[in-house]
Formats: sequence, C-alpha cells, structure tokens
Amino acid sequence: MEGLIIPLNHVLIVAALLFATGLAGLMFRRNVIFILMSLEVMLNSAGLAFVAAGAAWAQADGQVIFMLILAVAAAEVSVGLGLVLQVQKRFKTLDMDHAQKLNG
Amino acid sequence: METGIQALLAPLVVSIVALILMMQIAFKRHAIVSWLLGCTGFILAILALKPMADIVPKMVTPLLLSDQYSLFFSALILFSGLITTLLAKDYLQNRRGENEEFYLLLLLSSLGAMILVSATHVASFLLGMELLGVALYALIAYPERGQLPLEAAIKYLILSGAASAILLFGFALIYAVLGTLSFVGIGQALTQPILEDQQLLILLGTAMVFTGIGFKLSLVPFHMWTPDVYQGAPVPVTGFLATVSKGAIFAALLRLFIDAELYQYQGLMLSLSVLAIASMLAGNLLALKQDNLKRILAYSSIAHIGYLFITLIVYGVLQQPGLAVEAATFYLSAYIITSLAAFSLLSIISSNISETDLDDISHIQGLFWRQPMLALMLTIALLSLAGIPLTVGFIGKFYIFTAGIEGSLWVLLAALIIGSGISIYYYLRIVFQMTMKEPAGGSGAANMDPNSVRLSVLSKFVVWLLIFMMLYLGVLPQTLMEYLGGLSL
Amino acid sequence: MLLLNLILILLVGGAIAWWSERLGTHWPRLVAVFVVLVDLLYLLNYLAGIPIEQLSVVPAASDPSSWLLAYQLDWIPRFGISFHLAMDGLSLVLVLLTLVLGVISIISSWNEKNDRQGFFQANILWTLAGVIGVFLAMDLFLFFLFWEVMLVPMYLLIAIWGHEGKAYASMKFFIFTQFSGLLMLLAILALAILHHSATGVYSFSYFDLLSTPVENGMAHWLMLGFFIAFVVKLPGFPFHTWLPDAHTQAPTAGSVILAGILLKTGAYGLIRFTVPLFPEAALDFAPIAMFLGIAGVIYGAVLAFSQTDFKRLVAYSSVSHMGFVLLGVFAWNSLALQGAVMQMVAHGFSTAALFMIAGALQQRLHTRDMREMGGLWHHMPRMGAVALFFALASLGMPGVGNFVAEFLVLLGLFAVNPWMTAAAALGLITAAVYSLIMMQRAFYGKPKADLVVADFGWLEMNAMAIMIIALIWLGLYPQPVLDMVQPVLDSLFSVVSSNSITVGAQ
Repeated sequence: MEGLIIPLNHVLIVAALLFATGLAGLMFRRNVIFILMSLEVMLNSAGLAFVAAGAAWAQADGQVIFMLILAVAAAEVSVGLGLVLQVQKRFKTLDMDHAQKLNG
Repeated sequence: METGIQALLAPLVVSIVALILMMQIAFKRHAIVSWLLGCTGFILAILALKPMADIVPKMVTPLLLSDQYSLFFSALILFSGLITTLLAKDYLQNRRGENEEFYLLLLLSSLGAMILVSATHVASFLLGMELLGVALYALIAYPERGQLPLEAAIKYLILSGAASAILLFGFALIYAVLGTLSFVGIGQALTQPILEDQQLLILLGTAMVFTGIGFKLSLVPFHMWTPDVYQGAPVPVTGFLATVSKGAIFAALLRLFIDAELYQYQGLMLSLSVLAIASMLAGNLLALKQDNLKRILAYSSIAHIGYLFITLIVYGVLQQPGLAVEAATFYLSAYIITSLAAFSLLSIISSNISETDLDDISHIQGLFWRQPMLALMLTIALLSLAGIPLTVGFIGKFYIFTAGIEGSLWVLLAALIIGSGISIYYYLRIVFQMTMKEPAGGSGAANMDPNSVRLSVLSKFVVWLLIFMMLYLGVLPQTLMEYLGGLSL
Repeated sequence: MLLLNLILILLVGGAIAWWSERLGTHWPRLVAVFVVLVDLLYLLNYLAGIPIEQLSVVPAASDPSSWLLAYQLDWIPRFGISFHLAMDGLSLVLVLLTLVLGVISIISSWNEKNDRQGFFQANILWTLAGVIGVFLAMDLFLFFLFWEVMLVPMYLLIAIWGHEGKAYASMKFFIFTQFSGLLMLLAILALAILHHSATGVYSFSYFDLLSTPVENGMAHWLMLGFFIAFVVKLPGFPFHTWLPDAHTQAPTAGSVILAGILLKTGAYGLIRFTVPLFPEAALDFAPIAMFLGIAGVIYGAVLAFSQTDFKRLVAYSSVSHMGFVLLGVFAWNSLALQGAVMQMVAHGFSTAALFMIAGALQQRLHTRDMREMGGLWHHMPRMGAVALFFALASLGMPGVGNFVAEFLVLLGLFAVNPWMTAAAALGLITAAVYSLIMMQRAFYGKPKADLVVADFGWLEMNAMAIMIIALIWLGLYPQPVLDMVQPVLDSLFSVVSSNSITVGAQ
C-alpha cells in the first residue's frame, strides 16, 4: 500500500460536499428516480471517505467496506426501482407529491 | 472452523432454508408448502440455538461474535419471525396475489437481524442492517392492491437509505481518525490521546452514527416516517418492523455503545437525554390525536424508544453497567412480546377481509360484546404497553425507573412519568371504544358480520401463547431477570 | 395462608361469577353475594378462635411475627421482593369494612338492569380483592401492585356501566390515580435503592424500609411522592377533582365501593406508610397537610351545598368528610388518629348508604336532579326515613359513628392547633346545611300527584338496617373498634418517635 498522496482532509471535504449534494437532492427533488440517484450519491460519498481513509492508514479495510457499500447500494436501488415501476404502473406518475395519501 | 460453523448454526440454518424456499418457488408455487418451509426454518433455527449455547462466547472471524447476548436476541428475533409467519397464513389467505415470497422475505429479514445482533464490526453491522432493511422494503410493499403500502415502502426506503448513508459517513469519519473498524478497536483507540481537531471529527462522526440509528429507531426528531410506514404496511409486517427491526437495531446499538465506549462522551449523553425527553413527550402527545390504531402504536413506539434510551444515559452517568444493561434488555424483551401481541390481535381482526386493514379506532367499537376474548386480550396487551402491574410491561417500566434512580436522572424520570401519564389516555381510549355499544347500522365495525372474526386454531394458539408470556413474565419475572442479569457484553 | 385465601376466594369467585352468566341472568349476583359472604365468614370464623387479649397486644412494627396474621413467600429474590401479607388490628377493621360493604354494594345493584351481569359482578369482586390486597400488603412492591391493579376493574365498572358522562369520568379517574401512582412508585424505588446503597441488599419489605435512614432533603421529596398518591385517592383538596365526576357517573355499586372502600385506601396509606416511613419530613409537612385538610373540609361542604345533582352532592360531602381524616392523620396524636380511623369506618357506611339511596332514586325517577324531585317522602316513606337518618349521620348527629369520629379528630387537633380546630368546626356547621338542604329538596315539599314509584323493598331495607345498626353501634359503643386499632396506633407511634430520634441524632 502506498498510502495517500494528497492530504486526507481534502478528500474528506470532497466527500462531505458530495454527501451534502446528495442530501440536498434527496430533500428537494420530487421525482422518485432523482431521489434514488441522490441516495446513491450519498452512499458513494461515504464510500469515497472510506477508501481515502483506508489509503491514509494503508489498510485494505476501507476498500472492502467500499465494496460492501457498492453491493448494498445496488440492492437498495434495485428494490427501489422495482417499487418505482409499481408506482408508475399504478399512479401513472413518478412525482412524490401525487402520492400523499398518508398524512404525515 | 467446525466450532465456527457451530457458533453460527442458527443464521446458517435460516440461510439454507431461505435458499430451499427460493428453489421451491422457482419450481412450483404452492402457498402452503412455502408457509411450512418458512415455519420449519424458524423452528429449526430456534432448535439450533441449543448447540450454539454450548460453545459461546465464540468469535467467528473479526466480524461476528456469538455470545449469550447475541443468542438471547437471536431467540427473540426468531420467535418474532415465527409468530409473524404463523399469523401471516390467515392474514394472506384472503388476499389475492402470490404470497409465497412473503415467507422468504421474512426469513431473509430475520437473518439480517441476527447478523446485526452479533455484529462487532462496521462491516457486519452494515450488512446485517441492510439485509434487514432491504427485505423489509419489499415486505411493506407486499400487498398488490391499495396505494398505502407502496407509498409507505418508498418512504421507508428513501429515509432508511438516507439514514444508512449518514451512519456510514459517520463511521468513515471515525475510521479516518482512528484507523479501525471493529467496535472494540474503536473503544481502545479512543483511550489514546487524540488531537483537538481530530476529536472534533470523532464527535461529528459519532453524532452522525447516532443520527442514522436514531432514524431507524424513530427517535424524535427523526421519527416522521414512523406513523406513515406503520399505517401503510400490512399489519403482520408492521408488527415485524416494530419488534424485529427496532429490537435488533437497539441491541446492536447497545453493543456498539458499550464496546466502543461511547458512553464517555458527556456531550453525547446530554444530547441523547434531550432526544429521549423529546421522544417521550412528543411521541405520547402526538398519539393523542390519532384515530388509526397503527398510527397510535407508531407514536407509542416512539415514546417507548425514548424510555429505552434512559438506560443508555444511566450507563453514561455511572460509567459502568449498573442495572442499565439488564434494564435495557428486559425492557426490550417486554416491549417485543407486548407489541407482538398487540399487532397479532390487530392482524387477526383484519384477517377476514381482503382489501385494507381494519385499523381505524371505530372498527373495534363494541368488540367487547362481539368477541369478549379478543377484546380482553387486546386490553391486556394495551395495559402492558401502558405499564400496569401483572403484565410484563410493568416489570419493564420498573426496571427503567430503578435504573434511572440509580443514575439519579430526575429530569428524565419526570419526563417518563409525564409521558406515561399521557399515554394512559390513548391506550384507555382504545379500551373504552371496545366497551362501547355498537352503533346501530353505522359505519365501520357494523359492516362486519358480528361473528365474522373467526379465530383459526393457529391464531388462537399464537395469541394465547403471547398473552400467557406477557402475564407469566409479569407475575414471575425472576427467571428472565436472572438470565438477563448474567448477560455480559 | 388465610390472608392469601381471602384474596384468592374473591379472585376465583369473580371468574365463577362471570362464567355463571351462562346459567341465567340472576346467577352472577347470587354467586357474587355468596362469594363475599363466604370470604367474610371465613375471616370471622378465624377471629372467633383467637382470644380477645391478643387483639390488644401491641404489635412490634418491625416484627411481623407479633402481628395477628402474617404470610410470606419469596417472589422476586433478584430485588428482594416477597409476597408478604400481614394483618393487624387496623387492617382487620378495614378488611371487615370492605367485605361488609362489598355485600351491600352487590345488593345495591340487585334490581338494576345491567347488561353483562357476569362481567359486572366479576369486576366488583376483583376490585374488592385488590382493595383487600392493599390493606394487607407489607411489601411495598406488592402494595403498589395491588394499588394499581384495583384500578382496572374499577375503571371498567365506570366505563362500561356508568351514566351519560362515563367516558370523561372514567378516564379522569384512571389518569389521576395512575399519574400519582407513578410518583409513589418513584418514591418506593428510590427508598429501596437507598436501602440497597446503605446495606448492599435490595429489599422492598415494609419492615426493612422502616429503618432505612434517609437524609432530610431526600426524605421530603420521597414523602411527597407517597403523600400525593394517597391524597389523590383520599381525595384531598386540590386533587379531588376526579371524585365528583367518577362518583356521579359510576353505577350504584361502583359508587358504593368507590366511596365506601376505595377512598379508605388513601387514608390507610397515609397512616401506614407516609408518616412512619418519613416521620421527620411528615412532621415538617404537617401544617401544609392540615391546611389542605381544612381546605377540603370547607371547600367540599360549600360545593356540596351548591349542587343540584344528588350524587354530586354526596360526592362533595365525601371530600369534606375525608378532609377530617387528613387532619386527624397529620395531627398525629392518639385521639386524632382514633378519630381518623373511626371516620374512615363511619363515613364508609354513611356514604355508601347515601349513594344507594341516590342510585335507587335514579332507577325509579331516571334523574339525579333534585330540582325535579320533591315530596318524595309521600311516595316512599321508608326511603325517606332512611335518608333522613343518614343525612343526620352525615351532619354529625351525636349518637352516630360520624359524630364520635369528627369529635375525636377535633379534640386531638385542638391540642395541636386551636385555630385550625375552629376552622374545621365550621365544616360541621356547613355539613348541617347541605344535608338538610338535600332532605328538603328531595323528600319534603309538595308531592307530585301523578308519580307512581315503589318504596324500598325488604332486601334494600335489610342492607340499610345493617348500616344503620353499624353506625349507631359505632356512635354509642365505639370502644371495641378503638380497642382493636389502638395497639396498632401505639406501635406506629413508637416507630415514628424512635425513627425521628435516629434521624435527629444524625
């Protein structure tokens, strides 16, 4: 393992920015597809932070966790897309505002 | 390696049965066979706990630890899974669609929960949590008809996914500073001197981890999804979510909290206290206005999580277990059994119709006169939730009180008393509704044939068992107390 | 074993009464009366066998073996909790009162047409079982258990068979008592934990906790926890607001039990637990408690005076009468305490009788509003005469138990604080006013011509006769009851004085 060439903090800042982008998308987007994409961005930003931290410590653990996150994100999104198909079929829309029967 | 297999026997059994079930569905769909396979899986796994108990504690790879603690919670999870499977048969048989996968998803979800309670490492924690969650999304969206389940599933998926991302980012920050991902390793690394700005990163990371877990446990202010998802999901799934998912996540949190020695952060303890108080008060207050039974139980679960968090704070104050772990595990067991009973009864009430659930408070009006036994059992379950003596819920509350006094947490105890006082109102409102005379030809329950709620032998057995456990542990809790007192983390 | 059986007979009897509904609608009440009578005879049979001198032996408060009866069984050793029942003269008097009023309450609902007779009678029997448990429990955990559990059947009695405002009344009743109960639970557990940190063992036993040293600041808070729970039940001003609603809305049998017995558990708790466990703190608090007592006496009387609802009037008069108990307990001298116990018994009978009359009126006239009554003596002379007797008893006519009770309280109080005595005596005058107003509005005046109602039947007259005889006996020859209670009070005195010395020495 080489270790990390650029300072760890820089990577963490980039990851945090990505995370914030994802979170903002999650909160302000109304289309389910975009919301799922934002979710993906958030999960991957965590993955980026893990990879960078793993490199900084010269350990493989960070990358292993990243692989796991990839798998998890794939599972989440595939179930999510399955649900999206159902939504489209039943409500003929992907806008979350139109699916508000549950008053929360 | 052989003992490694033995130490993970129950999760392995569940995985194998899940595979067999999948094959069976691929070759020939048959609801009863799938149901039987599901039951077999849970029963075999429960039996498999016995040989596991002989060799614990046993570390299997750095990721999983089989010990008394994980065994106890695995037993609770498998028991809840079995109860859900048993009830699902009656519930699903009047509902259209292909119901075989329901049992597969239950097995997978329980498997995730079992991994979660044995997790000693971020990787296994992540995998367990996600397996539990992803299978649950599908379970929530299971009914083919109706808009609510789908909406609830999407809502749960998005918020739970976001919570996972927050939690992972928090762990990443902790990892960046400490360079270790195992819980015990984090705890050891934290005892070393840490630079000021790095300390900040750790605090931020810990806060994010607790935010993520707070979402999944529906701690105020991360509780917004709870009532919607509880209401939208089909009743047996709601019961499963309320017991297995919440229970396993809290059990894992307790292990993380103790192994990683997070209790030493007074700032964290303070914010947890605030969140606990907010949960106890807000949960109970918001439940007052609800007319949907599932929503009432959802808000009450928020309050119960608030009660449970008192035990964590006690640990933080004492800096040693004291009664905290015993109180937490007992309360959790009590809550799981009681919720399971409440949701089982709701599920039975809803078994006879094919569309939605009978979950509005008006649906159970006059139940005392139509189905005295059913109503009496629901009353007992509600009294247990309210913490009235002779039920296991009271012993749980007794533990929380005792632990709280041990830690001299008077403010939290005041919130607990006020919260419990408020909660009486909505629990008794349900009881009162059941004692009312039926409306003459009105809506709701009157649409149901008075004798239409037929209890199959199976449902009868399940609810009698749960009620018996609730009363037995409420009257003679000594055995469970001793067992839980002996659990070490 | 006898003590356990007393409770078990009622519990099992309740289940049988419920089941017997299948045999016919009149079966449950027959079974219920039979069960309570069996329980009563079982106890009396034992009492007949013990020499009278044994009653006057002063029981050592810290040694259950010196009590009349004791029964102990390990229950939850993890926390040192045992199933511990014991009976001394005080509990004996109250248990007898409970059983006698239990019979009367079942008779009082004899002619009411209630649905689900079986479940109704079962709830009555279970409430009685809970109350007896409260009077006998000597383990604080067990005590709390009975204290809470007796609420549930009482709640159901009001919620299912109550009158028009039952939803509100039953809910208020439960929340008030539950909320204050939790405060008591907190105090009990804190006391047990203090005991644990002092001795290293958990114990909830009354006898162990009596000698637990509590530092003064803490003792005040813990005392307050017990005090509030008991005063809510008593009920004392300003925690009485649940009572008029619950009493008014409850079915007749429920009102009789509530007023006759349930309120006494609060008074019993004050005498048995609050003062002996925290003597110093209770002493400091006594002026406030006595002030609340006087406030209750006068406030209850004034409000009773302005009621038009027959049952509400009687309910507020209970607030007034129970104020005397609070005064008697916190004056904490021999005379005042005797008076307090006497008041518990006498008030039990007189109020139970008045609620029975109210119930009978409602059943016959379908109203409780006294403005729609008047001249009833003409139609129901027997009921009128009985009502007159109990109205006079309630206002404290000499020769009746209530008079003895209130007189003793005032006498004892005079030694402590003459001004308060004078204020409390005002309550006696107002009692005369509202009692006579009640008679005036309901029974005197011009009879309504077209009214056809049945007078009291022989069953009701017999029940009334029991209570009249009891009250006159208490009024003319109160000595046996006082003799039975006096040794207990003596032993409590010795506990309190020895405890305050140890606390004072620290």
